[in-house]
Amino acid sequence: MIELTGINHSYRKNRSGLRDINLTIEAGESVVLLGANGTGKSSLLKIINGLIFPASGRYLFEGEPVTKRSCRRADFVREFRQSVVLLFQNPDAMIFNPTVFDEIAFGPRQLGLQDVDDKVRHWAHLLDLEHYLDRPPFQLSSGEKQRLCLAALLILDPRVLLLDEPTSYLDPGTTGWLVDFLRGLELTTISSTHNLSLAPELGRRTVLLSRDRSVAYDGPTDELLADRELLKTAGLTHIHGHEHDGVEHRHYHTHDWD
Amino acid sequence: MRHRLLLLLYLAAVLTITSLHDPVLLAALLPVAFLLAGRDLIDLAWRALAAMLIFNSVISISYAVIAGLRGEFAGGYLILINLRVYLLTFLTFLLARKVNLFSALSFSRTLSTLLSLASSQIQAFRRLFGEFNQALISRSPVRPGPRDLYRHAAVTGSLFLRRALNDMTDISQAMRSRGFFINSD
Repeated sequence: MIELTGINHSYRKNRSGLRDINLTIEAGESVVLLGANGTGKSSLLKIINGLIFPASGRYLFEGEPVTKRSCRRADFVREFRQSVVLLFQNPDAMIFNPTVFDEIAFGPRQLGLQDVDDKVRHWAHLLDLEHYLDRPPFQLSSGEKQRLCLAALLILDPRVLLLDEPTSYLDPGTTGWLVDFLRGLELTTISSTHNLSLAPELGRRTVLLSRDRSVAYDGPTDELLADRELLKTAGLTHIHGHEHDGVEHRHYHTHDWD
Repeated sequence: MRHRLLLLLYLAAVLTITSLHDPVLLAALLPVAFLLAGRDLIDLAWRALAAMLIFNSVISISYAVIAGLRGEFAGGYLILINLRVYLLTFLTFLLARKVNLFSALSFSRTLSTLLSLASSQIQAFRRLFGEFNQALISRSPVRPGPRDLYRHAAVTGSLFLRRALNDMTDISQAMRSRGFFINSD
């Protein structure tokens, strides 16, 4: 479904960026993009969403190249933007309509779909937003905004949902709700995170981006979590030293690991 | 030293341009400014024009209509205002391109700090603005219409304003906490 071959990308000349990324993601997979801050997780998601374009390499979605040129074609964009949607890390970036209802209805109205009203109410109900439909979105809490953005994306009936650090603005309770909700969706998901305890909840397959912004690991999430040396090299865990009854003790340590 | 001197020259040029009221004199300064730009001339000339075009067009047209209705229209005044704004904009872009402001303001701790704060805010808002635009593109299977673009711009503008106010409160509290205002209290 998604095929990335030899992708290289940098925001500025002479600055290092994503290096030689090769990934194939099949329909229905739930993939976690794991990496420390600044390893290019967001850039990779934006490449997959056709928002930025690699300096070199090839990106195919359903066998069709996603390039600057193809993203200028109205027929391609209509299909692609409906199929591949991205939940931004900052939900405020996605919200600009006067009411919650209008926000959810934005995509279907653009596409001229039928039964927009029913669809909005359906997704508002599923995401527990039905009491807020007439309210301005900026009055919502961060968790409610996140749910609103999800509703606005899922109403398009996409095939791929990209999530950029989806829990960074959420409290633990809402994080738990989001994880359960995502598990119930029957679509391809690619979620970025640097949270090790969250990774197994978000997908069975994990792609680890190293500090040099290349793929350091691509395989089962549980196997990666057992490789503590690799996690340490990737900047996701560290060796912590402390004393027990005067005896120094050192072990791998992370602050979000259960 | 060179950067400080260039900054002083810029400030002197701003004073001169704002005190000149003869469009011919201002027009004569334009080629001088263009010469100073050297290789960057075309790029800076276009940038300056793009930066002032919409705002000045609205002001100029409004002035022309109102003054015309009152029978007080003065073409020379309109040319003077537009020339002055263009020259000032061009010179400001030239300053940003040629002068290292950090080096120019290094003589004052306060000015250097304020410049650092302003630069970091500009970078943060530039990044945020890019993010907001990408989100609109990402959410739009069809090219957004004028109404959507207007809404998006309005919401982005008001959010940026709120954010800037919040940031300013945080920054001034952080500066106070770090003893920045200790000598001015």
